[in-house]
Amino acid sequence: MPLLTLREAPPERLDFLAVNPLALSGLSQGDAERLVVGTTRRGLVLGDCFTVKLDGSDTLTIAGGHARLDRVGASLTEGAIRVEGDVGQRLGAGMTGGTLTVTGNAGPFAGSGATGGTIRIEGDAGDHAGGAVHAAKVGLDGATLVIRGSAGDCLGDSMRRGLIVVERAGAFAGARMIAGTIAAGTVGDHPGYGMRRGTLVVGGHGALMPTFVETGALDLVYLRLLAKSLRPLSARHADLLSGAPKRYSGDLATIGKGELWVAA
Amino acid sequence: MAAWVKGGATDADAAVQAAAALLSSAHAPVFAGLNAEVAAIRAAYDLAGRIGASVDTAGGDATYADLGALARVGAMQAPPAEVVGRADAVLLVGVAPGRSPLVERLRATKPVRGRAAGAERRILSLPAGSDLAVAIAHLRAHARGHLTSDAGMMETARALSSALYGAVLYDPGELGTLGIEMLQGLVMDLNEATRCFALSLSDGGQDRAALQVAAWTTGQATRVGFGRRVPEQDPWRFDADRQAEAGEADAALWLASLPTARPAWLKTLPTVALVGSDAAPDLAEVVIRVGEPGREVGGVLWNEGRAGLSYRAPEQAGDLPAAADIIARIAAAVAGRGAVANRKDA
Repeated sequence: MPLLTLREAPPERLDFLAVNPLALSGLSQGDAERLVVGTTRRGLVLGDCFTVKLDGSDTLTIAGGHARLDRVGASLTEGAIRVEGDVGQRLGAGMTGGTLTVTGNAGPFAGSGATGGTIRIEGDAGDHAGGAVHAAKVGLDGATLVIRGSAGDCLGDSMRRGLIVVERAGAFAGARMIAGTIAAGTVGDHPGYGMRRGTLVVGGHGALMPTFVETGALDLVYLRLLAKSLRPLSARHADLLSGAPKRYSGDLATIGKGELWVAA
Repeated sequence: MAAWVKGGATDADAAVQAAAALLSSAHAPVFAGLNAEVAAIRAAYDLAGRIGASVDTAGGDATYADLGALARVGAMQAPPAEVVGRADAVLLVGVAPGRSPLVERLRATKPVRGRAAGAERRILSLPAGSDLAVAIAHLRAHARGHLTSDAGMMETARALSSALYGAVLYDPGELGTLGIEMLQGLVMDLNEATRCFALSLSDGGQDRAALQVAAWTTGQATRVGFGRRVPEQDPWRFDADRQAEAGEADAALWLASLPTARPAWLKTLPTVALVGSDAAPDLAEVVIRVGEPGREVGGVLWNEGRAGLSYRAPEQAGDLPAAADIIARIAAAVAGRGAVANRKDA
């Protein structure tokens, strides 16, 4: 198992776009240590901050994360990366496959534009988890994002496809959603701001938008199918759909084909 | 020329050399403020590119609130002169537009051009309430006919849809990018049947001038970093306040030849401050007094009314240096120290 061990806190933000199991498998020890990861005029390389052990397998472990490690697992296509610690912004951005696990917290924009694979964050995620970065049309786009702790504001902003499971989320969860599913223990104020389509399932919520209207407490076959798909990821979230949850339709400021399910 | 290094008065050459030493020794310098004339902003981008600095503007958050919506859904904008000349219905969104001098002009005049020429002008307002972005969404739902429950919203929606030329005034910093995207959606909905435009009111700074310079210099908007030689735009990473707070920046150049609200980090981060009439010795580690454009020196500034760049001659001739000249001298001194070629990845 290739192993990167952080020697000391990085003096600047590092860009890990080029550090993944597939890329490392084709490199010699020296070439891997010379991978440029710095983002300032220092010109830092991987070997400046990490001890590097390679073995060509497809699971990379980063022992000792840091909030300055940006784009960990970004554009990942296969294999797995496990970070024992925190990561910075854009965790798994644009990934198409594989598995990412972070035992600590993640910065903003985790899973932005990710079309496949699974991202697990054991701690908290920053703002815009599964959300769109500046000027991007979409946020999460097909991948699965599981956050065991809290997410910041604008969770799943402009998400287009895929699934987010989160314990707690801040304000404007599911803002500008195009499609996809978010299941949350609780969300903050104004969930689903400007959403066009998509599904939010919540156990509790803050202030609701005046542009969401209640359409009744419903027990639909579709909800049981959704619960079945959620259960392997989180039984607690699947249980939110038991009974007859209350359904709100919105956002009526747009085409209003989104839905917010509130647990009974 | 007035200049100070660590609070002590000094001459121009010593201050420029001190500034060059400070910036040359930094690994991740930040250039912030950029509330200045176009020549100075150009010089700042040029020096930032040479030493691998990142750049941010004083009104960066508001600028990116507008740009975020523009990049996603586009914008239907009108300049102030058009709104004054043509609008028969004006909606003020939130509190900030009420403080704009433009509103006084709109109240005092009538439309004189276009379809609404000679008509009475109606000034409407959308109160801030608990959340302005939510209020805009509520109004848009009524304008689309999806809701009819709120009489006040219905009245405002009717006034805009029955106007011949509507205008919606907002402050991007107050409304935020979610609200602006919703507002642009409202304006686009109204344009299905009539004419309506948005007007983003700036805070009076030179962010829009910096935006033009950044676009023609880097191909990107204002918040770019040159740490990896090529300009990279990242509004989160290159937010100067965030970088200072996170301890990522190790030096700064504060460019504000026009009066500008100062960030708290000026005194904690080693900073070279190029400031106009509000210069003070203890403002930063190195302070150089530069001419204020349009008053003490000539310079190209953003013309709010015309929404374009125009030259402003000085009101009185003086011997104060232009900020662009000082930055050019700092750049020459930095090059002389070999800092430009002294990169590990050079």
